[in-house]
Amino acid sequence: MSADSTAKTTPPPVVQVRDMDFCYGTSPALFDINLKVKYHRVTALIGPSGCGKSTLLRCINRMNDRVPSARVTKGEVLVKGKNIHDADVDLTQLRKQVGMVFQKSNPFPKSIYENVAYGLRIHGEKNKSVLDEAVERSLRQSALWDELKDRLNANALALSGGQQQRLCIARAIATLPDVLLMDEPCSALDPISTLKIEELMHQLAQEYTIVIVTHNMQQAVRVSDYTAFLHLGKLVEFAPTEELFTNPREKLTESYLRGTFS
Amino acid sequence: MNPVPTAENPFAGDNSGIQKRETAARWALRVGSYIVVIITLAIMLHIFIKGAPVTFQSKWPFVNTQFLTELPSQLHVIEDKQGNHYETGVNGADAIKKQLGDNFRSEKTIAYSGGGILGPIVGTALLVIVSVGVALFLGVACAIYLSEYAKHGKFLEMVRLAILNLAGVPSVVFGLFGLGAFVLTAPVFVDVPADRSVFAIPLGFTTLSFEGWDTCVLSGGFTLAFVILPVIITASEQCLQAVPQGFRETSMALGATRWQTIRYSVLPFATPGILTSSILGIARAAGETAPIMFTAALAFKDKLPWQKDLPPLPADASIFAHWEQSVSRFLGIFTESVQALPYHIYTLAAKIPQNEYSERAQYGSVFVFLVLVASLAASSVLLRKRLRAKYRW
Repeated sequence: MSADSTAKTTPPPVVQVRDMDFCYGTSPALFDINLKVKYHRVTALIGPSGCGKSTLLRCINRMNDRVPSARVTKGEVLVKGKNIHDADVDLTQLRKQVGMVFQKSNPFPKSIYENVAYGLRIHGEKNKSVLDEAVERSLRQSALWDELKDRLNANALALSGGQQQRLCIARAIATLPDVLLMDEPCSALDPISTLKIEELMHQLAQEYTIVIVTHNMQQAVRVSDYTAFLHLGKLVEFAPTEELFTNPREKLTESYLRGTFS
Repeated sequence: MNPVPTAENPFAGDNSGIQKRETAARWALRVGSYIVVIITLAIMLHIFIKGAPVTFQSKWPFVNTQFLTELPSQLHVIEDKQGNHYETGVNGADAIKKQLGDNFRSEKTIAYSGGGILGPIVGTALLVIVSVGVALFLGVACAIYLSEYAKHGKFLEMVRLAILNLAGVPSVVFGLFGLGAFVLTAPVFVDVPADRSVFAIPLGFTTLSFEGWDTCVLSGGFTLAFVILPVIITASEQCLQAVPQGFRETSMALGATRWQTIRYSVLPFATPGILTSSILGIARAAGETAPIMFTAALAFKDKLPWQKDLPPLPADASIFAHWEQSVSRFLGIFTESVQALPYHIYTLAAKIPQNEYSERAQYGSVFVFLVLVASLAASSVLLRKRLRAKYRW
């Protein structure tokens, strides 16, 4: 981790989105987005369905590249100060340092150990002790170690839904990313599993910078330090979470939070 | 408001004929299905009743080893004056005639109907090995490219259309294509190009001459590979598509390249399906007659592909000392023409005079062939079951 002491005193934005427009083919999806994600903080993206919050999240690790014809048409995305659309950016290195957890927990039908070690293995790590160490650290950080340390070779699909999602988090942090992107990580989970993941996020925030998309406003309040409200592809308001929820500056934000949305 | 119970039936039908049409439709569909089942059973039973006695016997080892381990040969039928018939091979004929002496009345010979069918079985096995090897490599490569790499658009649609059309090409056309492409023009390395060579590229130490592979296992196997290629491509593509997109996304999000993603989180989970479909491809390749007629199969051959009049390797050393010769002799198997089961059945059924003595070899061959194909299909089902249990998601 690049967590040196100077970075902690004056945390620079890890992710910075500047004046970004984004299109799927000819239909624009995001307009003029400006966003600064602070170091070791949890930033939540909220908004109604189809407002572009997932698209914005996927801009940060360029997962949108998988969609043909999807592209950033204006502005830039900086991660750790580097424009990620520069020609000399290696996608595999970018994604190694910007991890992602998806809405649907999707462990590979392999052993728990292999799931967590996957990221390191594809980046060429063959040393067994390094892998063992990384697997243990990741599972500890995702609060799974005590539950699973005796059956690391069991198939990951045998785990419960909540455990599977935490395993996906463990898999994402095994490569020690700087940023962890989470796309509605709890939307398919029961309340208890959700609670566990939310607790986990508080702990993870001490070591990682987290950006989470959620459609659950209470969750945003519970887990995040900053919240961005998006509506129809525009970033309406971006403020510290408490401020945004108690004293929104924009009319649109207020009506969305009150549920009187037209 | 509670509905008041009444004496009359509130759910009485209106007799509009809807029920009758329902019944009629159900019966029409049921009868159709029964006809299919009955015809299938009739074919299977008929072949089993006539063919099983040729292949099996009541004495140990219960399998007619002669039928499965001998090459086809002429069948001699000798009749004595009491009207008894003796069926025998070439060698047995003289002995029986001598034994009968004056009692001998007549002798008939029926081509190909004596002996066994080892030649066709071996030939079909070799053809299947070559064709499935080629088709799996080309087919899976093509399927991976189409489903994982190619951009959606006009070109992809055209490729798909081409594959669909390939599946619709009559098999005899494949046979003629194989004759032109593999038998007559495929490239080989030779020292001196033959006269029929289409053109030759001198390479210094040798010459690459487009003079064809001649009628052989290789030509037939490649031709059959193109027959089953559409099946394998289509099935493999479906298997690849059936692997959840989430696996790819996760893998890519962890920084894997496309090939790493395919190699580690797509292919392992698509392999069961691909293998299953390729086994069905084997059954198809084993059964095709027309593609091998011009490219690999002979109506009759009295030698197995590895039985050649070559000087034996020097006995003084192990085969490793002469590995070059050993390898070239092994590869020589694939440059021989062979007999094949479907073509053998065609020969027995259409190319020789039919009588009660030709039936034995006919039904026997068909029965063995059916058992082979059925066991392939069964193993495909078993394999799928086992692998599915291992790689479910």
